[in-house]
Amino acid sequence: MLHACVYATILLGFFGIIFKENLVMKIIAMDVMSTGVIALFVLVAARTGVRTPIVGILPRDGYADPVPQAVILTAIVIGFSIQALMLVGVMKLARDNPTLETRAIEEEYR
Amino acid sequence: MIINGTILWLALPFFVGFTVYLLPGTARLLTLGVTLVSLAYAMALFGQPAPLDLHLLDSFGVTLLADDLSAYFILTNALVTAAVILYCWDTSKTAFFYTQAIILHGSVNAVFVCADLISLYVALEVIGIAAFLLIAYPRQDRSLWVALRYLFVSNTAMLFYLVGAALVYQTHQSFAFTGLRGAPTEAVVLIVLGLLVKGGVFVSGLWLPLTHAEAESPVSALLSGVVVKAGVFPLVRCALLMEELDPLLRVFGVATALLGVVYALVETDAKRVLALSTVSQVGWVIAVPPAAGVYALAHGLVKAALFLTVGNLPSRDLTVLQQRPMATSLWLPLMAGSVAIAGCPLFLSFGAKAFTLEYALPWQGIMLNVAAVGTALVYAKFLVLPHRRDATSTAKLGLWTALALLLGSLLLANVVYLEAYTGPKVLKALAVIGGGLLFHRLVVQRFRFTLPQVLEDFEHLIGGMSVMVVVLFLMVGSWLAI
Repeated sequence: MLHACVYATILLGFFGIIFKENLVMKIIAMDVMSTGVIALFVLVAARTGVRTPIVGILPRDGYADPVPQAVILTAIVIGFSIQALMLVGVMKLARDNPTLETRAIEEEYR
Repeated sequence: MIINGTILWLALPFFVGFTVYLLPGTARLLTLGVTLVSLAYAMALFGQPAPLDLHLLDSFGVTLLADDLSAYFILTNALVTAAVILYCWDTSKTAFFYTQAIILHGSVNAVFVCADLISLYVALEVIGIAAFLLIAYPRQDRSLWVALRYLFVSNTAMLFYLVGAALVYQTHQSFAFTGLRGAPTEAVVLIVLGLLVKGGVFVSGLWLPLTHAEAESPVSALLSGVVVKAGVFPLVRCALLMEELDPLLRVFGVATALLGVVYALVETDAKRVLALSTVSQVGWVIAVPPAAGVYALAHGLVKAALFLTVGNLPSRDLTVLQQRPMATSLWLPLMAGSVAIAGCPLFLSFGAKAFTLEYALPWQGIMLNVAAVGTALVYAKFLVLPHRRDATSTAKLGLWTALALLLGSLLLANVVYLEAYTGPKVLKALAVIGGGLLFHRLVVQRFRFTLPQVLEDFEHLIGGMSVMVVVLFLMVGSWLAI
Protein backbone atom coordinates (compact mmCIF):
# COMPACT_ATOMS: atom_id res chain seq x y z
CA MET A 1 0.00 0.00 0.00
CA LEU A 2 2.71 2.45 1.06
CA HIS A 3 4.76 1.37 -1.92
CA ALA A 4 1.85 2.11 -4.23
CA CYS A 5 1.48 5.60 -2.76
CA VAL A 6 5.17 6.30 -3.17
CA TYR A 7 5.20 5.18 -6.80
CA ALA A 8 2.01 7.16 -7.44
CA THR A 9 3.76 10.28 -6.11
CA ILE A 10 6.73 9.73 -8.41
CA LEU A 11 4.49 9.17 -11.43
CA LEU A 12 2.26 12.14 -10.67
CA GLY A 13 5.32 14.34 -10.42
CA PHE A 14 6.58 13.04 -13.73
CA PHE A 15 3.24 13.68 -15.44
CA GLY A 16 3.25 17.15 -13.93
CA ILE A 17 6.60 17.85 -15.60
CA ILE A 18 5.15 16.81 -18.93
CA PHE A 19 1.68 18.34 -18.78
CA LYS A 20 2.12 21.59 -16.86
CA GLU A 21 2.69 24.52 -19.20
CA ASN A 22 4.21 26.93 -16.74
CA LEU A 23 7.90 26.63 -15.95
CA VAL A 24 7.46 27.22 -12.22
CA MET A 25 4.78 24.53 -12.11
CA LYS A 26 7.15 22.17 -13.87
CA ILE A 27 9.79 22.79 -11.22
CA ILE A 28 7.25 22.17 -8.46
CA ALA A 29 6.21 18.96 -10.22
CA MET A 30 9.84 17.91 -10.22
CA ASP A 31 9.94 18.60 -6.51
CA VAL A 32 6.92 16.32 -6.04
CA MET A 33 8.72 13.64 -8.00
CA SER A 34 11.86 13.96 -5.89
CA THR A 35 9.74 13.83 -2.72
CA GLY A 36 8.44 10.50 -3.97
CA VAL A 37 11.99 9.24 -4.53
CA ILE A 38 13.02 10.32 -1.05
CA ALA A 39 10.00 8.55 0.43
CA LEU A 40 10.98 5.41 -1.45
CA PHE A 41 14.42 5.43 0.17
CA VAL A 42 12.90 5.90 3.61
CA LEU A 43 10.51 3.06 2.90
CA VAL A 44 13.31 0.76 1.74
CA ALA A 45 15.21 1.54 4.94
CA ALA A 46 12.26 1.10 7.25
CA ARG A 47 11.17 -2.18 5.73
CA THR A 48 13.37 -4.19 8.07
CA GLY A 49 12.51 -2.44 11.31
CA VAL A 50 11.40 0.67 13.08
CA ARG A 51 13.99 1.36 15.77
CA THR A 52 16.73 3.95 15.48
CA PRO A 53 20.09 2.17 15.18
CA ILE A 54 21.92 3.43 18.27
CA VAL A 55 24.55 1.31 20.00
CA GLY A 56 23.48 0.50 23.53
CA ILE A 57 21.57 -1.98 25.62
CA LEU A 58 18.59 -1.95 23.28
CA PRO A 59 17.80 -5.21 21.47
CA ARG A 60 19.94 -5.56 18.35
CA ASP A 61 17.25 -6.55 15.88
CA GLY A 62 14.39 -4.66 14.36
CA TYR A 63 16.25 -1.44 13.60
CA ALA A 64 15.81 0.62 10.45
CA ASP A 65 18.67 0.38 7.96
CA PRO A 66 20.71 3.60 8.32
CA VAL A 67 22.51 3.39 4.96
CA PRO A 68 19.71 4.46 2.59
CA GLN A 69 18.76 7.23 5.00
CA ALA A 70 22.31 8.55 5.04
CA VAL A 71 22.44 8.33 1.28
CA ILE A 72 19.16 10.09 0.73
CA LEU A 73 20.31 13.00 2.92
CA THR A 74 22.94 13.71 0.28
CA ALA A 75 20.34 13.43 -2.44
CA ILE A 76 17.98 15.81 -0.62
CA VAL A 77 20.70 18.43 -0.34
CA ILE A 78 21.60 18.06 -4.00
CA GLY A 79 17.92 18.17 -4.96
CA PHE A 80 17.14 21.38 -3.18
CA SER A 81 20.29 23.13 -4.37
CA ILE A 82 19.38 22.26 -7.95
CA GLN A 83 15.85 23.52 -7.40
CA ALA A 84 17.13 26.75 -5.90
CA LEU A 85 19.44 27.20 -8.88
CA MET A 86 16.60 26.61 -11.32
CA LEU A 87 14.29 29.03 -9.54
CA VAL A 88 16.97 31.74 -9.71
CA GLY A 89 17.28 31.06 -13.43
CA VAL A 90 13.50 31.25 -13.82
CA MET A 91 13.43 34.55 -11.94
CA LYS A 92 15.88 36.02 -14.42
CA LEU A 93 13.95 34.59 -17.37
CA ALA A 94 10.70 35.99 -15.99
CA ARG A 95 11.89 39.54 -16.55
CA ASP A 96 11.56 39.18 -20.31
CA ASN A 97 9.00 36.34 -20.39
CA PRO A 98 6.53 37.22 -17.67
CA THR A 99 4.12 34.38 -18.49
CA LEU A 100 6.85 31.72 -18.27
CA GLU A 101 4.96 29.50 -20.71
CA THR A 102 7.44 26.87 -21.83
CA ARG A 103 6.15 26.78 -25.37
CA ALA A 104 6.45 30.53 -25.86
CA ILE A 105 9.96 30.59 -24.42
CA GLU A 106 10.97 27.70 -26.63
CA GLU A 107 9.62 29.45 -29.76
CA GLU A 108 11.57 32.56 -28.89
CA TYR A 109 14.94 30.98 -28.18
CA ARG A 110 15.01 28.18 -30.69
CA MET B 1 51.37 5.57 -2.58
CA ILE B 2 48.99 5.51 -5.51
CA ILE B 3 46.08 4.96 -3.09
CA ASN B 4 46.73 8.18 -1.18
CA GLY B 5 47.53 9.81 -4.51
CA THR B 6 44.12 8.85 -5.86
CA ILE B 7 42.29 10.48 -2.97
CA LEU B 8 44.41 13.62 -3.11
CA TRP B 9 43.97 13.82 -6.86
CA LEU B 10 40.18 13.50 -6.49
CA ALA B 11 40.00 16.25 -3.87
CA LEU B 12 42.45 18.65 -5.50
CA PRO B 13 40.18 20.17 -8.21
CA PHE B 14 37.51 21.08 -5.65
CA PHE B 15 40.05 22.58 -3.29
CA VAL B 16 41.67 24.56 -6.10
CA GLY B 17 38.26 25.54 -7.45
CA PHE B 18 37.34 27.36 -4.26
CA THR B 19 40.84 28.75 -3.71
CA VAL B 20 40.75 30.25 -7.19
CA TYR B 21 37.61 32.10 -6.27
CA LEU B 22 39.42 33.70 -3.34
CA LEU B 23 42.58 34.46 -5.31
CA PRO B 24 41.30 35.39 -8.79
CA GLY B 25 44.74 36.40 -10.04
CA THR B 26 46.02 32.84 -9.90
CA ALA B 27 42.98 31.29 -11.61
CA ARG B 28 44.51 30.33 -14.94
CA LEU B 29 47.79 28.99 -13.58
CA LEU B 30 46.25 26.95 -10.77
CA THR B 31 43.56 25.37 -12.92
CA LEU B 32 46.08 24.52 -15.61
CA GLY B 33 48.21 22.96 -12.87
CA VAL B 34 45.31 20.73 -11.81
CA THR B 35 44.88 19.42 -15.35
CA LEU B 36 48.60 18.60 -15.43
CA VAL B 37 48.19 16.62 -12.19
CA SER B 38 45.34 14.70 -13.83
CA LEU B 39 47.55 14.05 -16.83
CA ALA B 40 50.30 12.68 -14.59
CA TYR B 41 47.78 10.55 -12.71
CA ALA B 42 46.42 9.05 -15.91
CA MET B 43 49.97 8.18 -16.98
CA ALA B 44 50.67 6.59 -13.58
CA LEU B 45 47.48 4.58 -13.97
CA PHE B 46 48.65 3.22 -17.33
CA GLY B 47 51.77 2.00 -15.57
CA GLN B 48 49.83 0.06 -12.93
CA PRO B 49 50.09 -3.69 -13.45
CA ALA B 50 46.67 -4.47 -11.93
CA PRO B 51 43.44 -2.46 -11.61
CA LEU B 52 43.26 -0.35 -8.49
CA ASP B 53 40.36 -1.41 -6.26
CA LEU B 54 39.70 0.89 -3.31
CA HIS B 55 37.22 0.59 -0.47
CA LEU B 56 37.12 3.73 1.60
CA LEU B 57 35.78 3.23 5.13
CA ASP B 58 34.07 -0.12 5.58
CA SER B 59 31.59 -2.04 3.48
CA PHE B 60 29.18 0.88 3.12
CA GLY B 61 31.87 3.40 2.19
CA VAL B 62 32.78 4.75 -1.20
CA THR B 63 34.27 2.23 -3.59
CA LEU B 64 36.65 3.24 -6.37
CA LEU B 65 37.95 1.26 -9.30
CA ALA B 66 40.71 2.65 -11.50
CA ASP B 67 42.15 0.73 -14.44
CA ASP B 68 43.26 1.30 -18.03
CA LEU B 69 39.73 2.19 -19.11
CA SER B 70 39.59 4.93 -16.47
CA ALA B 71 43.06 6.07 -17.50
CA TYR B 72 41.95 6.70 -21.10
CA PHE B 73 38.94 8.74 -19.96
CA ILE B 74 40.97 10.69 -17.38
CA LEU B 75 43.57 11.45 -20.03
CA THR B 76 40.84 12.79 -22.32
CA ASN B 77 39.48 14.92 -19.50
CA ALA B 78 42.91 16.33 -18.61
CA LEU B 79 43.85 17.21 -22.20
CA VAL B 80 40.50 18.75 -23.15
CA THR B 81 40.25 20.83 -19.97
CA ALA B 82 43.85 22.01 -20.38
CA ALA B 83 43.13 23.01 -23.97
CA VAL B 84 40.01 24.93 -22.95
CA ILE B 85 41.94 26.80 -20.24
CA LEU B 86 44.69 27.65 -22.73
CA TYR B 87 42.02 28.82 -25.19
CA CYS B 88 40.50 31.13 -22.58
CA TRP B 89 43.91 32.39 -21.44
CA ASP B 90 43.77 35.80 -23.13
CA THR B 91 40.01 36.30 -22.94
CA SER B 92 38.28 38.24 -20.21
CA LYS B 93 36.79 35.22 -18.45
CA THR B 94 36.42 35.79 -14.72
CA ALA B 95 37.61 33.54 -11.91
CA PHE B 96 34.03 32.23 -11.68
CA PHE B 97 34.42 30.58 -15.07
CA TYR B 98 37.66 28.85 -14.08
CA THR B 99 36.15 27.75 -10.76
CA GLN B 100 33.27 26.08 -12.55
CA ALA B 101 35.51 24.60 -15.23
CA ILE B 102 37.81 22.98 -12.69
CA ILE B 103 34.95 21.73 -10.50
CA LEU B 104 33.49 20.19 -13.63
CA HIS B 105 36.89 18.63 -14.33
CA GLY B 106 37.04 17.20 -10.81
CA SER B 107 33.57 15.73 -10.84
CA VAL B 108 34.08 14.17 -14.27
CA ASN B 109 37.28 12.60 -12.88
CA ALA B 110 35.27 11.24 -9.97
CA VAL B 111 32.85 9.55 -12.38
CA PHE B 112 35.76 7.85 -14.14
CA VAL B 113 36.99 6.10 -10.98
CA CYS B 114 33.88 5.50 -8.92
CA ALA B 115 32.43 2.01 -8.65
CA ASP B 116 29.22 2.42 -6.72
CA LEU B 117 25.88 3.86 -7.68
CA ILE B 118 25.69 6.61 -5.09
CA SER B 119 29.16 8.10 -5.64
CA LEU B 120 28.24 8.09 -9.31
CA TYR B 121 24.97 9.86 -8.57
CA VAL B 122 26.68 12.60 -6.58
CA ALA B 123 29.37 13.10 -9.22
CA LEU B 124 26.80 13.27 -12.03
CA GLU B 125 24.70 15.82 -10.17
CA VAL B 126 27.74 18.02 -9.52
CA ILE B 127 28.52 17.79 -13.23
CA GLY B 128 24.95 18.92 -13.96
CA ILE B 129 25.26 21.99 -11.73
CA ALA B 130 28.72 22.99 -12.95
CA ALA B 131 27.69 22.53 -16.59
CA PHE B 132 24.55 24.59 -15.95
CA LEU B 133 26.62 27.46 -14.59
CA LEU B 134 29.08 27.27 -17.49
CA ILE B 135 26.33 27.27 -20.13
CA ALA B 136 24.57 30.17 -18.39
CA TYR B 137 27.85 32.09 -18.04
CA PRO B 138 27.04 34.73 -20.74
CA ARG B 139 23.91 35.61 -18.67
CA GLN B 140 21.71 36.16 -21.69
CA ASP B 141 18.14 34.93 -21.67
CA ARG B 142 18.83 32.47 -24.44
CA SER B 143 21.80 30.81 -22.78
CA LEU B 144 19.89 30.81 -19.50
CA TRP B 145 17.02 28.93 -21.12
CA VAL B 146 19.34 26.40 -22.74
CA ALA B 147 21.06 25.84 -19.41
CA LEU B 148 17.76 25.49 -17.55
CA ARG B 149 16.53 22.99 -20.08
CA TYR B 150 19.74 20.99 -19.69
CA LEU B 151 19.54 20.94 -15.90
CA PHE B 152 15.86 20.02 -15.98
CA VAL B 153 16.31 17.08 -18.32
CA SER B 154 19.37 15.80 -16.52
CA ASN B 155 17.81 16.13 -13.06
CA THR B 156 14.64 14.31 -14.11
CA ALA B 157 16.77 11.50 -15.51
CA MET B 158 18.77 11.35 -12.29
CA LEU B 159 15.56 11.00 -10.26
CA PHE B 160 14.74 7.88 -12.25
CA TYR B 161 18.27 6.70 -11.65
CA LEU B 162 17.85 7.17 -7.88
CA VAL B 163 14.71 5.03 -7.88
CA GLY B 164 16.73 2.34 -9.63
CA ALA B 165 19.53 2.68 -7.06
CA ALA B 166 17.02 2.27 -4.21
CA LEU B 167 15.69 -0.92 -5.79
CA VAL B 168 19.21 -2.31 -6.23
CA TYR B 169 19.90 -1.64 -2.57
CA GLN B 170 16.69 -3.35 -1.58
CA THR B 171 17.80 -6.52 -3.36
CA HIS B 172 21.48 -6.68 -2.40
CA GLN B 173 21.96 -4.36 0.60
CA SER B 174 24.76 -2.76 -1.40
CA PHE B 175 25.20 -0.01 -3.99
CA ALA B 176 28.05 -1.65 -5.93
CA PHE B 177 27.80 -1.66 -9.75
CA THR B 178 27.80 -5.45 -9.75
CA GLY B 179 24.53 -5.32 -7.85
CA LEU B 180 22.78 -4.78 -11.16
CA ARG B 181 23.15 -8.50 -11.65
CA GLY B 182 20.21 -10.16 -9.98
CA ALA B 183 18.44 -6.84 -9.42
CA PRO B 184 14.81 -6.57 -10.57
CA THR B 185 14.24 -5.59 -14.19
CA GLU B 186 12.82 -2.20 -13.30
CA ALA B 187 15.96 -1.30 -11.34
CA VAL B 188 18.19 -2.02 -14.33
CA VAL B 189 15.81 -0.17 -16.67
CA LEU B 190 15.70 2.98 -14.55
CA ILE B 191 19.45 3.14 -13.95
CA VAL B 192 20.25 2.56 -17.61
CA LEU B 193 17.67 5.19 -18.58
CA GLY B 194 19.31 7.79 -16.33
CA LEU B 195 22.73 7.08 -17.80
CA LEU B 196 21.48 7.03 -21.40
CA VAL B 197 19.95 10.48 -20.98
CA LYS B 198 23.06 11.84 -19.27
CA GLY B 199 25.29 10.39 -21.97
CA GLY B 200 23.19 11.64 -24.88
CA VAL B 201 22.46 8.23 -26.34
CA PHE B 202 19.84 7.59 -29.04
CA VAL B 203 16.44 9.34 -28.76
CA SER B 204 17.04 10.30 -25.15
CA GLY B 205 20.12 12.21 -26.29
CA LEU B 206 18.25 14.73 -28.40
CA TRP B 207 18.64 17.40 -25.71
CA LEU B 208 22.29 17.45 -26.72
CA PRO B 209 22.31 19.27 -30.10
CA LEU B 210 20.74 22.51 -28.87
CA THR B 211 22.71 22.53 -25.62
CA HIS B 212 26.09 21.93 -27.21
CA ALA B 213 25.42 24.23 -30.15
CA GLU B 214 24.20 27.21 -28.15
CA ALA B 215 26.89 27.18 -25.46
CA GLU B 216 30.02 29.28 -26.02
CA SER B 217 32.61 27.36 -27.99
CA PRO B 218 35.03 26.61 -25.11
CA VAL B 219 32.08 25.32 -23.09
CA SER B 220 30.84 23.29 -26.06
CA ALA B 221 34.31 21.79 -26.30
CA LEU B 222 34.17 20.75 -22.65
CA LEU B 223 30.63 19.40 -22.94
CA SER B 224 31.20 17.43 -26.13
CA GLY B 225 34.75 16.45 -25.29
CA VAL B 226 34.31 15.06 -21.80
CA VAL B 227 30.96 15.68 -20.13
CA VAL B 228 28.93 13.31 -22.32
CA LYS B 229 31.54 10.66 -21.63
CA ALA B 230 30.67 10.90 -17.95
CA GLY B 231 27.27 9.52 -18.87
CA VAL B 232 28.48 6.68 -21.04
CA PHE B 233 31.48 5.64 -18.94
CA PRO B 234 29.40 3.95 -16.21
CA LEU B 235 27.45 2.09 -18.90
CA VAL B 236 30.67 0.81 -20.42
CA ARG B 237 32.03 -0.05 -17.00
CA CYS B 238 28.88 -2.05 -16.16
CA ALA B 239 28.93 -3.82 -19.51
CA LEU B 240 32.53 -4.87 -18.93
CA LEU B 241 31.79 -6.04 -15.39
CA MET B 242 28.61 -7.87 -16.41
CA GLU B 243 28.41 -9.44 -19.85
CA GLU B 244 24.62 -9.53 -19.61
CA LEU B 245 24.44 -5.80 -20.35
CA ASP B 246 26.80 -5.98 -23.30
CA PRO B 247 24.21 -6.70 -26.06
CA LEU B 248 22.05 -3.80 -24.88
CA LEU B 249 24.91 -1.33 -25.28
CA ARG B 250 25.92 -2.74 -28.64
CA VAL B 251 22.41 -2.27 -30.05
CA PHE B 252 22.01 1.23 -28.64
CA GLY B 253 25.50 2.19 -29.74
CA VAL B 254 24.93 1.29 -33.37
CA ALA B 255 21.46 2.90 -33.40
CA THR B 256 22.89 6.10 -31.95
CA ALA B 257 25.80 6.15 -34.39
CA LEU B 258 23.39 5.99 -37.32
CA LEU B 259 20.80 8.39 -35.87
CA GLY B 260 23.39 11.08 -35.18
CA VAL B 261 24.87 10.80 -38.67
CA VAL B 262 21.47 11.06 -40.36
CA TYR B 263 20.58 14.18 -38.38
CA ALA B 264 24.00 15.74 -38.96
CA LEU B 265 23.82 15.14 -42.73
CA VAL B 266 20.81 17.40 -43.23
CA GLU B 267 22.02 20.15 -40.91
CA THR B 268 23.43 23.46 -42.20
CA ASP B 269 24.52 25.08 -38.97
CA ALA B 270 28.19 24.35 -38.27
CA LYS B 271 27.91 24.01 -34.49
CA ARG B 272 24.79 21.87 -34.73
CA VAL B 273 26.58 19.58 -37.19
CA LEU B 274 29.34 19.13 -34.64
CA ALA B 275 26.88 18.56 -31.79
CA LEU B 276 24.92 15.98 -33.76
CA SER B 277 28.13 14.29 -34.76
CA THR B 278 28.86 14.03 -31.02
CA VAL B 279 25.64 12.01 -30.66
CA SER B 280 26.86 9.70 -33.39
CA GLN B 281 30.35 9.37 -31.91
CA VAL B 282 28.95 8.58 -28.45
CA GLY B 283 27.25 5.69 -30.19
CA TRP B 284 30.63 4.49 -31.46
CA VAL B 285 32.04 4.68 -27.93
CA ILE B 286 29.40 2.41 -26.41
CA ALA B 287 28.88 0.16 -29.44
CA VAL B 288 32.02 -1.81 -28.64
CA PRO B 289 32.72 -1.65 -24.88
CA PRO B 290 36.26 -3.14 -24.98
CA ALA B 291 37.40 -0.36 -27.34
CA ALA B 292 35.56 2.46 -25.55
CA GLY B 293 38.62 4.03 -23.89
CA VAL B 294 40.64 4.57 -27.05
CA TYR B 295 37.64 5.81 -28.99
CA ALA B 296 36.64 8.25 -26.25
CA LEU B 297 40.16 9.68 -26.20
CA ALA B 298 40.24 10.12 -29.97
CA HIS B 299 36.80 11.69 -30.13
CA GLY B 300 37.29 13.99 -27.13
CA LEU B 301 40.47 15.50 -28.55
CA VAL B 302 39.27 16.01 -32.09
CA LYS B 303 35.81 17.31 -31.16
CA ALA B 304 37.26 19.85 -28.75
CA ALA B 305 39.63 21.04 -31.50
CA LEU B 306 36.75 21.35 -33.97
CA PHE B 307 34.49 23.27 -31.58
CA LEU B 308 37.26 25.70 -30.70
CA THR B 309 38.04 26.30 -34.40
CA VAL B 310 34.42 26.67 -35.50
CA GLY B 311 33.89 29.21 -32.71
CA ASN B 312 36.29 31.53 -34.58
CA LEU B 313 34.74 31.25 -38.03
CA PRO B 314 33.08 34.39 -39.43
CA SER B 315 29.66 32.70 -39.40
CA ARG B 316 28.01 29.55 -38.08
CA ASP B 317 25.84 29.08 -41.13
CA LEU B 318 27.47 26.75 -43.67
CA THR B 319 25.63 28.40 -46.60
CA VAL B 320 27.09 31.78 -45.58
CA LEU B 321 30.53 30.21 -45.20
CA GLN B 322 30.22 28.93 -48.77
CA GLN B 323 30.01 32.53 -49.99
CA ARG B 324 32.49 34.12 -47.59
CA PRO B 325 35.94 32.52 -47.64
CA MET B 326 37.55 32.03 -44.23
CA ALA B 327 41.20 32.62 -43.39
CA THR B 328 43.49 29.79 -44.49
CA SER B 329 44.99 29.70 -41.01
CA LEU B 330 41.57 28.67 -39.70
CA TRP B 331 40.80 26.34 -42.56
CA LEU B 332 43.89 24.22 -41.90
CA PRO B 333 42.94 23.09 -38.37
CA LEU B 334 39.33 22.71 -39.48
CA MET B 335 40.46 20.43 -42.28
CA ALA B 336 42.80 18.49 -39.99
CA GLY B 337 40.01 17.95 -37.48
CA SER B 338 37.50 16.95 -40.14
CA VAL B 339 39.71 14.31 -41.77
CA ALA B 340 40.81 13.13 -38.33
CA ILE B 341 37.27 12.47 -37.12
CA ALA B 342 36.50 10.72 -40.41
CA GLY B 343 39.30 8.29 -39.55
CA CYS B 344 42.26 9.53 -41.60
CA PRO B 345 45.56 7.69 -40.96
CA LEU B 346 48.20 9.62 -38.94
CA PHE B 347 45.57 10.61 -36.37
CA LEU B 348 44.53 8.51 -33.38
CA SER B 349 40.95 8.38 -34.69
CA PHE B 350 42.14 6.01 -37.42
CA GLY B 351 43.57 3.58 -34.88
CA ALA B 352 40.50 3.96 -32.67
CA LYS B 353 38.14 3.17 -35.54
CA ALA B 354 40.21 0.14 -36.55
CA PHE B 355 40.33 -1.03 -32.92
CA THR B 356 36.56 -0.62 -32.55
CA LEU B 357 35.82 -2.50 -35.79
CA GLU B 358 38.19 -5.26 -34.72
CA TYR B 359 36.12 -5.98 -31.60
CA ALA B 360 32.75 -5.37 -33.27
CA LEU B 361 30.36 -8.24 -33.85
CA PRO B 362 29.80 -9.15 -37.53
CA TRP B 363 26.40 -7.41 -37.76
CA GLN B 364 27.85 -4.38 -36.04
CA GLY B 365 30.76 -4.20 -38.44
CA ILE B 366 28.48 -3.54 -41.40
CA MET B 367 26.40 -0.90 -39.64
CA LEU B 368 29.45 0.83 -38.18
CA ASN B 369 31.09 0.97 -41.59
CA VAL B 370 27.94 2.66 -42.90
CA ALA B 371 28.17 5.11 -40.00
CA ALA B 372 31.85 5.73 -40.85
CA VAL B 373 30.97 6.58 -44.45
CA GLY B 374 28.21 8.83 -43.09
CA THR B 375 30.72 10.60 -40.86
CA ALA B 376 33.02 11.20 -43.83
CA LEU B 377 30.02 12.63 -45.72
CA VAL B 378 29.12 14.93 -42.83
CA TYR B 379 32.63 16.30 -42.54
CA ALA B 380 32.93 16.75 -46.29
CA LYS B 381 30.70 19.79 -45.63
CA PHE B 382 33.65 21.43 -43.89
CA LEU B 383 36.26 20.21 -46.36
CA VAL B 384 34.63 21.90 -49.37
CA LEU B 385 34.42 25.33 -47.69
CA PRO B 386 36.42 28.00 -49.52
CA HIS B 387 39.36 29.77 -47.89
CA ARG B 388 41.62 32.72 -48.69
CA ARG B 389 45.03 33.55 -47.38
CA ASP B 390 44.34 37.26 -46.91
CA ALA B 391 40.96 36.89 -45.19
CA THR B 392 40.96 38.43 -41.73
CA SER B 393 40.57 36.22 -38.71
CA THR B 394 39.80 37.17 -35.14
CA ALA B 395 41.57 34.15 -33.66
CA LYS B 396 43.73 34.83 -30.63
CA LEU B 397 46.93 33.18 -29.52
CA GLY B 398 44.98 30.92 -27.13
CA LEU B 399 43.37 29.09 -30.04
CA TRP B 400 46.73 28.09 -31.47
CA THR B 401 48.17 26.82 -28.19
CA ALA B 402 44.98 24.86 -27.55
CA LEU B 403 44.97 23.39 -31.05
CA ALA B 404 48.66 22.52 -30.82
CA LEU B 405 47.97 20.62 -27.60
CA LEU B 406 44.90 18.78 -28.94
CA LEU B 407 46.14 17.92 -32.43
CA GLY B 408 49.65 17.17 -31.12
CA SER B 409 48.24 14.68 -28.62
CA LEU B 410 46.10 13.20 -31.36
CA LEU B 411 49.23 12.47 -33.39
CA LEU B 412 51.30 11.29 -30.41
CA ALA B 413 48.60 9.01 -29.03
CA ASN B 414 48.94 6.82 -32.12
CA VAL B 415 51.42 4.73 -30.13
CA VAL B 416 48.56 2.97 -28.35
CA TYR B 417 47.52 1.02 -31.43
CA LEU B 418 50.21 1.01 -34.09
CA GLU B 419 49.02 -2.39 -35.36
CA ALA B 420 46.25 -0.55 -37.20
CA TYR B 421 48.71 0.66 -39.82
CA THR B 422 48.39 -2.10 -42.37
CA GLY B 423 48.00 -1.54 -46.10
CA PRO B 424 44.35 -2.56 -46.52
CA LYS B 425 43.17 -0.60 -43.49
CA VAL B 426 44.95 2.60 -44.58
CA LEU B 427 43.57 2.24 -48.09
CA LYS B 428 40.09 1.63 -46.78
CA ALA B 429 40.21 4.71 -44.54
CA LEU B 430 41.42 6.89 -47.41
CA ALA B 431 38.76 5.44 -49.70
CA VAL B 432 36.04 6.22 -47.15
CA ILE B 433 37.13 9.85 -46.88
CA GLY B 434 37.61 10.24 -50.63
CA GLY B 435 34.28 8.57 -51.32
CA GLY B 436 32.56 10.81 -48.81
CA LEU B 437 34.00 13.91 -50.44
CA LEU B 438 33.07 12.76 -53.93
CA PHE B 439 29.55 11.75 -52.94
CA HIS B 440 29.10 15.09 -51.21
CA ARG B 441 30.15 17.00 -54.35
CA LEU B 442 28.04 14.91 -56.69
CA VAL B 443 24.87 14.26 -54.71
CA VAL B 444 24.47 15.85 -51.31
CA GLN B 445 25.34 19.39 -52.39
CA ARG B 446 22.60 19.33 -55.03
CA PHE B 447 19.74 18.40 -52.73
CA ARG B 448 18.51 19.83 -49.51
CA PHE B 449 16.45 17.88 -47.02
CA THR B 450 15.39 18.94 -43.58
CA LEU B 451 14.34 16.77 -40.68
CA PRO B 452 11.78 18.08 -38.21
CA GLN B 453 13.29 19.31 -34.95
CA VAL B 454 10.08 18.72 -33.06
CA LEU B 455 11.57 15.84 -31.07
CA GLU B 456 13.99 18.30 -29.52
CA ASP B 457 11.16 20.26 -27.87
CA PHE B 458 11.36 20.32 -24.11
CA GLU B 459 8.16 18.37 -23.51
CA HIS B 460 9.11 15.73 -26.05
CA LEU B 461 12.48 15.27 -24.38
CA ILE B 462 10.78 14.46 -21.08
CA GLY B 463 8.12 12.40 -22.85
CA GLY B 464 10.87 10.59 -24.75
CA MET B 465 12.13 9.29 -21.42
CA SER B 466 8.85 7.45 -20.80
CA VAL B 467 9.04 5.96 -24.29
CA MET B 468 12.60 4.84 -23.56
CA VAL B 469 11.44 3.25 -20.31
CA VAL B 470 8.99 1.10 -22.29
CA VAL B 471 11.60 0.17 -24.90
CA LEU B 472 14.12 -0.69 -22.19
CA PHE B 473 11.56 -2.78 -20.32
CA LEU B 474 10.93 -4.80 -23.45
CA MET B 475 14.63 -5.23 -24.14
CA VAL B 476 15.83 -5.94 -20.60
CA GLY B 477 12.82 -7.99 -19.56
CA SER B 478 12.49 -10.33 -22.47
CA TRP B 479 15.88 -10.43 -24.06
CA LEU B 480 18.72 -9.95 -21.59
CA ALA B 481 19.49 -12.61 -19.03
CA ILE B 482 19.89 -10.42 -15.96
